[in-house]
Amino acid sequence: MSDRHLVRDVLILIGLAVAALAVPALGSEFAVSLALTCLMYIALASSWALFCGRTRYLSLATSAFFGIGAYSGALALQHELGWLSAIAIGAVLATAVAALMGAAVLHLRGTYFAVLTFGMTELIRHAVTYFEKSVTGTVGRVLTVLPERDTIYFTLLALALLAMATSIALRRTRFGLALAGIGADEQRAQTLGVDTRRVKIAGFALTAAFAGAVGAAMSVRWTYIDPPTVFNPFIGFQTVLIALVGGALTLWGPLVAAIVFSLLAETLRLQVPQLYMMSLGLLLILSVLYLPGGLASLRWAMARDAWRALRGAWERRLG
Amino acid sequence: MRGAPFAARGSGALAETALLEARALSVRFGGLTAVDAVDASFAAGELVGIIGPNGAGKTTLFNAISGVTPPTSGQLLADGRDMRGQGPHRYAAHGIARTFQTPRVFADMTVLTNVEFGMQFAGRRPGAAATAALRTPDTILALIGLAAQSALPAAAITPSQQRLLEIGMALATRPRLLLLDEVAAGLSEAEIEAMARLVRRMRDELGLAVVWIEHAVTTLLRHVERVIVLHQGRKIADATPAEVVRDAQVIEAYLGDEMAQPPP
Repeated sequence: MSDRHLVRDVLILIGLAVAALAVPALGSEFAVSLALTCLMYIALASSWALFCGRTRYLSLATSAFFGIGAYSGALALQHELGWLSAIAIGAVLATAVAALMGAAVLHLRGTYFAVLTFGMTELIRHAVTYFEKSVTGTVGRVLTVLPERDTIYFTLLALALLAMATSIALRRTRFGLALAGIGADEQRAQTLGVDTRRVKIAGFALTAAFAGAVGAAMSVRWTYIDPPTVFNPFIGFQTVLIALVGGALTLWGPLVAAIVFSLLAETLRLQVPQLYMMSLGLLLILSVLYLPGGLASLRWAMARDAWRALRGAWERRLG
Repeated sequence: MRGAPFAARGSGALAETALLEARALSVRFGGLTAVDAVDASFAAGELVGIIGPNGAGKTTLFNAISGVTPPTSGQLLADGRDMRGQGPHRYAAHGIARTFQTPRVFADMTVLTNVEFGMQFAGRRPGAAATAALRTPDTILALIGLAAQSALPAAAITPSQQRLLEIGMALATRPRLLLLDEVAAGLSEAEIEAMARLVRRMRDELGLAVVWIEHAVTTLLRHVERVIVLHQGRKIADATPAEVVRDAQVIEAYLGDEMAQPPP
């Protein structure tokens, strides 16, 4: 709850926002597309870490909320409800589903919670597929009303900024303190007066609101959506990976990791897709084993000490 | 005012004013009855001890009357209101605070934040008595003697300091009834005396009702006004320390080897 880093954090965020604002005007089509992926994962991973990082409830349901947002956003656009309404509908629907899902599974912890959120994601994906096939008679939807490229870009930038701003703000609120207490010792927090059930559902729903809005904003990038694309579990896995590798308890860790991963993805995935997946796996293993606090816990002092230790060992061998 | 009336068991007049009252409270785990039809009542400003051999059900009773373990049967009333089915945060909102036998401080947070925590939640309820000593986290830290450790992470202080911090966290909820679960276990002689003084201060100066479980019976009996003795889940005595040490059933069940003089 200290304000020590508040000014610094806000200034960094403003600096990054200005840089991101310049991308559509200055950058190539490829640069914009790359920046868009970065923004998408910044928003997803930061908002995931808001709840899941603090409380240590590992949710694999991000792709469910993303897909719900994408589908409802696409439907809203088809009915010409307007761009902002489409985003808002995506967020609201994802929030509602998260509140229901949370009420059902948030009393479970650890592996059970993770597996159940994944199972529910699959359930939702199959339910949507079934509904589309048997009720609406389609396998996918072609989006015809498409916003400008820059509209999508600035929307995602706004969502990423909002996720970061929420992360900064949360560190200074009772809600954030309650989430941290739940992560440290849920029952102790409860005996000190935290209505843990309500706090958990609210936190889970907040995470889902971001994923839903991001899904709605990204759906138009594909122009054609079907359940396997927008409910792709890979989106959920990658969000978790980014947050964990970056450091789910830190503010900037998920942001840095989101950029690193997006760059890796764009450069490696097209040429050598296996290499990308392998490096993802390797990074996760290394970070869990040696950097449980994530990339953000790396400090220059650590690198210096490691270098000195190496040099010392080398000199001893020579001497 | 204190002392005598509380020796009377389950009298009707007392039940009306009890902060917390258990009626025929039982907690069963599968085939094991950990707490067996216990009646107990705690009034404002009392200092009560609970003793009993290992496995007598002391901690299970605490868990049941703080909402941590739902009782299998029986009634629990806080200010005469039925608390069944309510979570621990509702007990905290009724002014019932507790510590845990093994300190459960928030290890990564500072000592100060650990104390602030309870103040931010149950301590904020309307009508919570914020007496001078419980006004701010700093006054609480001063009371428990951890002002100098305020900025340290809770994981970095000693186990005996963590016991004090547990009490500070509970005090921050601005309770009326404080449940202390073996806060003197593992402390040195001097530390036990200091702890006993702190307990008395909390009762005398803050006006709290304190219920104190302790394994070190002799220390406990010196400080409390009323003792509840549990044996195999049942309450076998509920009286003043002087009466309890003379109770044949108690001596046989528990105190025999420690307290009773060998016959000449």
